[in-house]
Amino acid sequence: MRTLLRLMLKEELRTHTTYSGKRRFFTFPIMVFIFAFIFALSMQRLLQGTSLEQLALVTQGGAFIYGIGVGSFGFMGKQYIERGYGSKNYLVAMPALLPLTYRKTFLGLYLRDSIFYIGLVLLPATFGLLVGAPFVGFKVTSILLFFVAAVLSFQIGTSLSFLGSVLYTRSAPAFAIFTSGIIALVFLGGAALLFDVRLLVPSIGFQLSVPPFGNDIGSALLLAAVSMAMIAVTTLLALALVRFRYVSRDARHSTLLPRYMDRFRISGVYKEVVAKEFVDIRRSGTIGKMFFSFVLPLVFLSFTSWFVNTGLGLPIGFNTVFYGSMVGFMGILLYSWLNNVDSTDYYSLLPITVPHVVRARVLIFLFLTTGISTVFVVIISAVENELDILWLSLMVMFVTSFYMVVMTAYLTGIRTNTFLFDMSVMSKFAVMSFLPDVGLTILSFSIRTNWVFSLTGIAIVLASLLGSTAILYRGIERKWIGTGFDV
Amino acid sequence: MVRDSNCIILTDSSNIASYVTKVEIGLPALLDIMSVVTARGLSKRFGQKQALDGISFEIQPGDLFGLFGPNGAGKTTLLRILTGQLEQDSGDATVLGIDVKKDPMEVKRKIGIVPEVESPPTYLTAYEYLYFVSRVRQIPDAEARIDGWFDFFDLKESRDVICRDLSKGMRQKIMLASAFIHEPKLLFLDEPFINLDPIFQRKLREYLLEYVAKGGTVFMCSHILEIAERLCSRAAIISEGRIIKLGDMSELVKGGARLEEVFLKLVGKGG
Repeated sequence: MRTLLRLMLKEELRTHTTYSGKRRFFTFPIMVFIFAFIFALSMQRLLQGTSLEQLALVTQGGAFIYGIGVGSFGFMGKQYIERGYGSKNYLVAMPALLPLTYRKTFLGLYLRDSIFYIGLVLLPATFGLLVGAPFVGFKVTSILLFFVAAVLSFQIGTSLSFLGSVLYTRSAPAFAIFTSGIIALVFLGGAALLFDVRLLVPSIGFQLSVPPFGNDIGSALLLAAVSMAMIAVTTLLALALVRFRYVSRDARHSTLLPRYMDRFRISGVYKEVVAKEFVDIRRSGTIGKMFFSFVLPLVFLSFTSWFVNTGLGLPIGFNTVFYGSMVGFMGILLYSWLNNVDSTDYYSLLPITVPHVVRARVLIFLFLTTGISTVFVVIISAVENELDILWLSLMVMFVTSFYMVVMTAYLTGIRTNTFLFDMSVMSKFAVMSFLPDVGLTILSFSIRTNWVFSLTGIAIVLASLLGSTAILYRGIERKWIGTGFDV
Repeated sequence: MVRDSNCIILTDSSNIASYVTKVEIGLPALLDIMSVVTARGLSKRFGQKQALDGISFEIQPGDLFGLFGPNGAGKTTLLRILTGQLEQDSGDATVLGIDVKKDPMEVKRKIGIVPEVESPPTYLTAYEYLYFVSRVRQIPDAEARIDGWFDFFDLKESRDVICRDLSKGMRQKIMLASAFIHEPKLLFLDEPFINLDPIFQRKLREYLLEYVAKGGTVFMCSHILEIAERLCSRAAIISEGRIIKLGDMSELVKGGARLEEVFLKLVGKGG
């Protein structure tokens, strides 16, 4: 197992450094360290506008969502195995050729990504906070406990995602029941107060029970134990359910492509690629994965904001406009999935360029998300009794969605997952997404108290985003024209 | 203009002289027009490895040109540069008179490519992939041509099976059909016979001979030297990024030597 894990870690590292180079890749954890250090130094100033509890909640929630994003091993493994005949192959597919079990290689995948992504982000962030601690009076033990909580949150997310994705590869109804169950738990615990909400993501409860938030050692130990039990049970269940068999499928499929080309003729010169990718999305089952990685974080976000407002009794002005901007910013998860449906090697044999495919995927994103995002914002607006500002929320949602996907497409092309770990790309991405996000969030808070200021500010931000979107969309051609599909 | 001149060359060589005289073009340009493929001093490096080191050669219309070499010699790198899939570090290459570095899309419009690894899209059916290629290449009578290639490669049973579920041989047939479907004047084939059964190896061989007889040109990389010896009119042997032998097949195998023996001797494994 140790040899397999070592080789898998090398494989993951090489996958990342293939595109951005070793130097640029290793700059990433260094920048995380520097960012965390600066964050620690500016803590006193930050605490003037928000509370430490809120920061801790956002961080632990972020670690959980990060884990959800990393842990979809069932989907990833299936793709690696099914694409084994292509120009790339991965160790997880080796049981087809060697006396290894998929259970073992998937355990390797789980351990590999846990080590790799904790090492890439959580560890350097903790070191940054530790180095900054003496300047702001933080206790080392508090930071170490924060790290423990973050690792637990990340692993809970990873394990849940692992189990959900493996269930999906076995049975779509089982996956639907699983995700519906999680959503139901969120609402039962959060809205109906049927049980202690801290048990949903117990690591958050752990964080709030230890210094500097609390000093309840008994609760902390219990919640840490519950977290670890949750991680162990979901991971073991996922491993028990892992099963890939080579079966002669030879299944017939009805012809979809000509119909889809007709349906998406509005896409103009991109209609061939748009139609082809929609066939891919449908037949690969990516719609389910998109649901998993787009709707679930939205539900989690709704729950977290509810929890902050009601559960913790901290009055924060989250309103429908805020949700509109959040939906837009979560669009990146969907664009990332679009770049993982199938290999693109064969495009290089045809008169099709990388910018052509990138733009086609931006269109696909719009076709896919417009409906679901609109429904989400309308529901939130109705639940929060804020239908009077629905028009503004929708406008914010559409503009931020389009801006985020075009900006991500411009920066990462067809390799989003890889380039977001390239420090130079990540820095640009952070600035280009963080600034408008913070701006819109702050402005949305005063929509009820100072609507003239709020509306004017939002209008300026949206106009800037639209202008930037147009410039970046045009820039996609120049930036990616010299790039190959399989390099 | 250059594209027009290519059509003249490929169909009626007697017109070339008058055309060239009329526009008074220089010797290098004349060579480009007369050659379907021209490479001058092509070099490519991947990190520490010099994959190609000053490759120069030409391919004339109607040639069935074979490129042979040991694993890692640079065959696929050369093919990918000539087909606009990869940029060279230095040197020039034209394909059908088009500079591959300046206008790779135009090159891809005019040629057919079969890659080393058969990799059609995972989730499209065999029919859908050929339909997709036809639409991208704007072929007017796509349905008739798809049917024709399904007949040729005996693919009708696999029409509605997604490429993921096809055998390697079937996938190779799909890749071959997708390269032939727009009837290009020039084909680049990397190991085209791989995974094909003897029946279809023979059928493909006959098709390629007929294709060049009608004025088409083929650039082919292969390790199956028995087939290549019977098929190719001209050939080059490449080793460590350099062409070590180039000429007509009859010159390469003169004196009753087999291509395999010549190959082994030239790459230093001949004992």
